[in-house]
Amino acid sequence: MTLGPIVCATRGGEASRSTQEHAVALAEERGAALIFLYVADYEFAASLEPRLLETVRDELANLGLALLSIAQRRAARKGIKAQVAVLCGPVRETIHHYLVQTHASMLVLGASGPPTRHRVFTPEEVLHFAESVAKGAGAEVHVVTPEGKVLKAGAGTESPAKPTG
Amino acid sequence: MSSLISAEVIIVVLMLVATVVAIVIRRVRLPYTVSLVLVGLLIAAWRPITVEVTPELILAIFVPPLVFEAAFHLDIRLLRGGLASIVFLAVPGVIVTAILVGGVVALGAGLSVGPAVVFGALISATDPVAVVSLFRALGVPERLGVAVEGESLFNDGTAIVVFQIALSAAVSGEFRFADSLFRFLEVAIGGLAIGLALGWLVAQLMARIDDRLIETTLTALLAYGTYLAAERLHVSGVLAVVAAGMYSGNMGLRGASPTTRIMLFSLWEFLAFLSNSLIFLLIGLNVHISELAANATPIAVAVGAVLLSRAIVVYGLSWLADVASRGTRIPFQWRHILFWGGLRGAISLALALSLPLTLAARGTLQAMTFGVLLFTLLAQGTTVQFLVKALGITGGSEHQRDFERRVGQSFALQAGMRRLAQLREEGLLSQDMWSGLQANFRAQKDQVMREISRLFRVHAELERDTLLQVRREVLLAERAALDDALRRGVISEPIYDELRRNMDYRLEAVRLIQEHEHGLEES
Repeated sequence: MTLGPIVCATRGGEASRSTQEHAVALAEERGAALIFLYVADYEFAASLEPRLLETVRDELANLGLALLSIAQRRAARKGIKAQVAVLCGPVRETIHHYLVQTHASMLVLGASGPPTRHRVFTPEEVLHFAESVAKGAGAEVHVVTPEGKVLKAGAGTESPAKPTG
Repeated sequence: MSSLISAEVIIVVLMLVATVVAIVIRRVRLPYTVSLVLVGLLIAAWRPITVEVTPELILAIFVPPLVFEAAFHLDIRLLRGGLASIVFLAVPGVIVTAILVGGVVALGAGLSVGPAVVFGALISATDPVAVVSLFRALGVPERLGVAVEGESLFNDGTAIVVFQIALSAAVSGEFRFADSLFRFLEVAIGGLAIGLALGWLVAQLMARIDDRLIETTLTALLAYGTYLAAERLHVSGVLAVVAAGMYSGNMGLRGASPTTRIMLFSLWEFLAFLSNSLIFLLIGLNVHISELAANATPIAVAVGAVLLSRAIVVYGLSWLADVASRGTRIPFQWRHILFWGGLRGAISLALALSLPLTLAARGTLQAMTFGVLLFTLLAQGTTVQFLVKALGITGGSEHQRDFERRVGQSFALQAGMRRLAQLREEGLLSQDMWSGLQANFRAQKDQVMREISRLFRVHAELERDTLLQVRREVLLAERAALDDALRRGVISEPIYDELRRNMDYRLEAVRLIQEHEHGLEES
């Protein structure tokens, strides 16, 4: 039976580099395909006129593609041929649907800094989301902090990220 | 006609002086407005030109664009958080300042209570220009800038109203509290109501018209028309412009295209710059050092009174505002900035010049005003940056500043390498010199690039921020290329308009994304 791909969701935040490196290391270790995913969530611009809203979405997608291309090149230097996907929509729902659609075996995502009013993902929310993804999409979830700590959904354990060189 | 030409000559000369100051100041660590005052003082001592400044000139010509621009830019969402503090500082704060300063000046400088309170009122309006531009340069939190600017916007209006009431009482010798309170509310609320009504009207028109020139003209009409209409109806012109500016800047722009927005913001930024430049030059030009020296004691008392009242208002009323706002507090450290950053400027100057000839001690009051203006601009305006730094409220984290430093070094090294190659082509360098210097440059450049890569690795969000900045630079270059193509006749006007509009939308979208990302980081 072929192992489903590892999906690494990234948005260029402070934990993104360690998250991507962890995903690359896992792909290498498990021999699984790797997909870097960027979700352009333009909810913050919802009150804008339609044309500007559309442009914000396009520019976010452009930014996402640039970020993922950089991640893809870095993965290639480690010998991993990763794919990239840029999707638009609300972050959590879009990631969830994508995992189901691609039959992903694992989701790797980052958790940034302390909990704040505006953050897309506070560490607690990430873990909560990870739990629901683990149940709903049947995928294993690793949450990586900017310091490289890895929190595993459901397992309640934490371990340092594998050194990736 | 000849007087019109003379006026034009003076304006051109003043604009030239302001431009030279603006260019020179880029190399000197002094606030622009402070430099203008100093240059104005020098010119006044030398006296090659004489400019007669009337209060009407300042209040009706220069103040509306200044106030409108500040109100137009003020984000109502950010203002809402600190509204209680702003209202406390701008309404009770002005009244308390007028009474306190009046009391101290009456006791310390031997003035009658009436004229002393008139002085207290005219000196109560703060002028944030020097401080706000400094905030931008130092990158202090946006909310602090909004607090300073918001207070100033509203206290300009309330100070004028309190001044008029105090002046009327001083001239007539009668003061009735109930009448004065009613008059204060009538003038203030009347001004705000007219401003909101006209702001709404213009916003409705702007929503139905998609033409950047007409929309921009409408805002100019709004700024000056609101002021004139309110003054004609004997209510506060300044508060009317504040309300009109805030309404049109926050609501009226909702349907405006990015092209219109860019044009509007550019025009108002320019008009505010021009008004400020002329006002602060005029302040310097109108100060007579000999008169200041003759009134040294009353000026010293006035400066002490202004500082004392500012401390009481900022520290005392901010506490009350915290209680009233239930949670949204102005951090204690920010209050030191509000205290020392409470500079005085255009409104105080205009009001001092408008004092009637019949008012007792008119000359002393004007000398005290100029003295306080000079003190706040030269002593506070030049040192507030050190206070901001000492309190550690400059924006950005250490790694962001470090990144900026490395990028600056990289830019400089790149330019150095280009020049080196040029010198080699010109035959100034031998092969050995070229190889040695190039190797040295490369080593330095590699070191800087390694450091930048390290920062990208440890603080990954810097990479995203850089990508957004680069995208913006690229779009600006593309827009400039379109302008060039139109100028050279490569593309027609309709195609240019279509492409330019698209480019403006993209630039606006990138700005919104940067703002959003910054919000995520800052929060």
